[in-house]
Amino acid sequence: MPRDATQMTNTQTILDGIEPEVMTTLVNRRDAIRKGATTSASLAMGLKFASVPLALAALSRDAYGQASSTVQDVLNFALKLEIFENELYKAVLGTSAVAAANTAFAPVRALAAAVPGAVATLQQLQKHETQHTAFLLANGAVNDLNLTGASFDFTGARGAGNGPFARATTELQFLLLVAQSVEDTGVRAYKGQAGNLISNKAVLEAALRIHSVEGRHAAKIRRMRRQTNPTLTSVKFSGTITGGGIAAAGAGNISNPPAAVVAALEAIYGGATSEANLVQAGRNAATVSGSALPPGLDQAPAAQEAFDEPLTKAEVVAIVQPFFIPTLT
Amino acid sequence: MASEKDTLVIESADQMWRPNSRRDFLRLLGIGGSVVLLPSVFAACGSDDPMGPPGGGGGGGGGGGGAVSLNLSNDVGILNYAYALEQLEAGFYSAVLASSVFSSLSAEIREVMVDLRNHEVIHREFLARVLGPNAIPALGLNAATVATATANRDSILRTAEQFEDLGVSAYNGAGKYLTDVGNLLVAGKIVSVEARHAAAIRDIREALGAPGTSRFAGDDIINAQGLDVKLEPAAVLSRVAATNFVTTQISIGTNPSGTATADAPPPTSI
Repeated sequence: MPRDATQMTNTQTILDGIEPEVMTTLVNRRDAIRKGATTSASLAMGLKFASVPLALAALSRDAYGQASSTVQDVLNFALKLEIFENELYKAVLGTSAVAAANTAFAPVRALAAAVPGAVATLQQLQKHETQHTAFLLANGAVNDLNLTGASFDFTGARGAGNGPFARATTELQFLLLVAQSVEDTGVRAYKGQAGNLISNKAVLEAALRIHSVEGRHAAKIRRMRRQTNPTLTSVKFSGTITGGGIAAAGAGNISNPPAAVVAALEAIYGGATSEANLVQAGRNAATVSGSALPPGLDQAPAAQEAFDEPLTKAEVVAIVQPFFIPTLT
Repeated sequence: MASEKDTLVIESADQMWRPNSRRDFLRLLGIGGSVVLLPSVFAACGSDDPMGPPGGGGGGGGGGGGAVSLNLSNDVGILNYAYALEQLEAGFYSAVLASSVFSSLSAEIREVMVDLRNHEVIHREFLARVLGPNAIPALGLNAATVATATANRDSILRTAEQFEDLGVSAYNGAGKYLTDVGNLLVAGKIVSVEARHAAAIRDIREALGAPGTSRFAGDDIINAQGLDVKLEPAAVLSRVAATNFVTTQISIGTNPSGTATADAPPPTSI
């Protein structure tokens, strides 16, 4: 039967208005407090004195008002990643404000120019990263490290210019693997921060809309890599990620990858919740389909592909720090 | 024994949706009072008439026959909305693989169709299990529409692009209505996979001559701020109805709790 009675009207009290939204949170909070989790002092005090109005007032701030510091942190963090991506693609395309970066990538730029559509793709990626940077800045993100093109070392040596990723400047396949990894890191980073934005619906929605763009980017680069390496079947034409760690990178076409690059790829596709993760909301996604998928089909790879996984902020910082000259926090 | 003041007796499920009962319920939760649910409350909860979180209402139900009414004011309803879309996609790709033209498709397209079928079936079955007894019924598919859409390569790819971009739009527009961070994370895990699918199909169609450049994330789909498509649930369901794929009528019984945002729709003519 219809539940129209739950719709809010102008004649209801403020308590009626907020309670459906905070109810789940309240129950979760009570559980959390019972388990000794930290919470805001005012909320704890409200509950301690058994004052529902006090606790509710604190909870409303907690769940919907405050969080602003968290949202600000996410915005600032996202901006760093977008600037990094943007400056990488500008260097590749030769449009960086840093002449040395343009020069460094000149060899691979010439190789890309020989592959139909490759430069147009890189230009589209760079355009979106520029747009994301501008969008974040216009919506409150602060470039608190004053990052510019000169803030990066794309070889991964924090300024020494001789890091393990230097081959991206001279080998197209190496560059494409780096670009794929950067985009997938972006997808995983935004996913990991979504929960921190749940109190700010506008920012959350914008972040989701950036997040899916990064997913499209990553898929396109995976397709480019597969098309130029037909036997690299672990890189799917569907643009999705199979397995976790180095296997998920699909780096089999890179000869003698430096150990530090292998370690980086392990981290990019690994982490506390690896891309190989099969357990979603407490259920093994490789077995949920039962007989809905053909018998004999190995469901584990499909279930890994069907869900992209998050990275924590600390994991992302550890991955990208070698490319940033300033120290990330 | 709690005093009468500290006990709230709920005689019927409907009572829970009334402001006074909800306020009492909340008050009693706060001060450790008792809430008594009489058997009649549970008797009212059939498998197609699920209870959502307190105060939020049920998630779906109203099924039976050929209609489903969604209560989008809580997470159960939003997940049922996602479940409906995953049913549509999974049903379509399953039909593609069973179609007579499938074997004539290129190896690349066949690989993509198999992947998409597998992923969407897993999404569908996963959501069905998450929702459990609260899940809406299986949707009916229009055999004639499915047959037309799977009749040749171009209609298969055009339909796939339409569905994948619609899926991205739907998840991007509904994420803000989820109240549980765990549910939001799961939705996030799925939407980026839908975006990968959309990019792959769009890229394949570009190679086959579809108009546009860098279609994987083309200017027809990504706005000048670099933001992807998004649609509110009503707009998504309107598009679903327009495809004539689903015989089950899907309507919104209760709107989402929260403020709708301006839509950024994928193109209708592709």
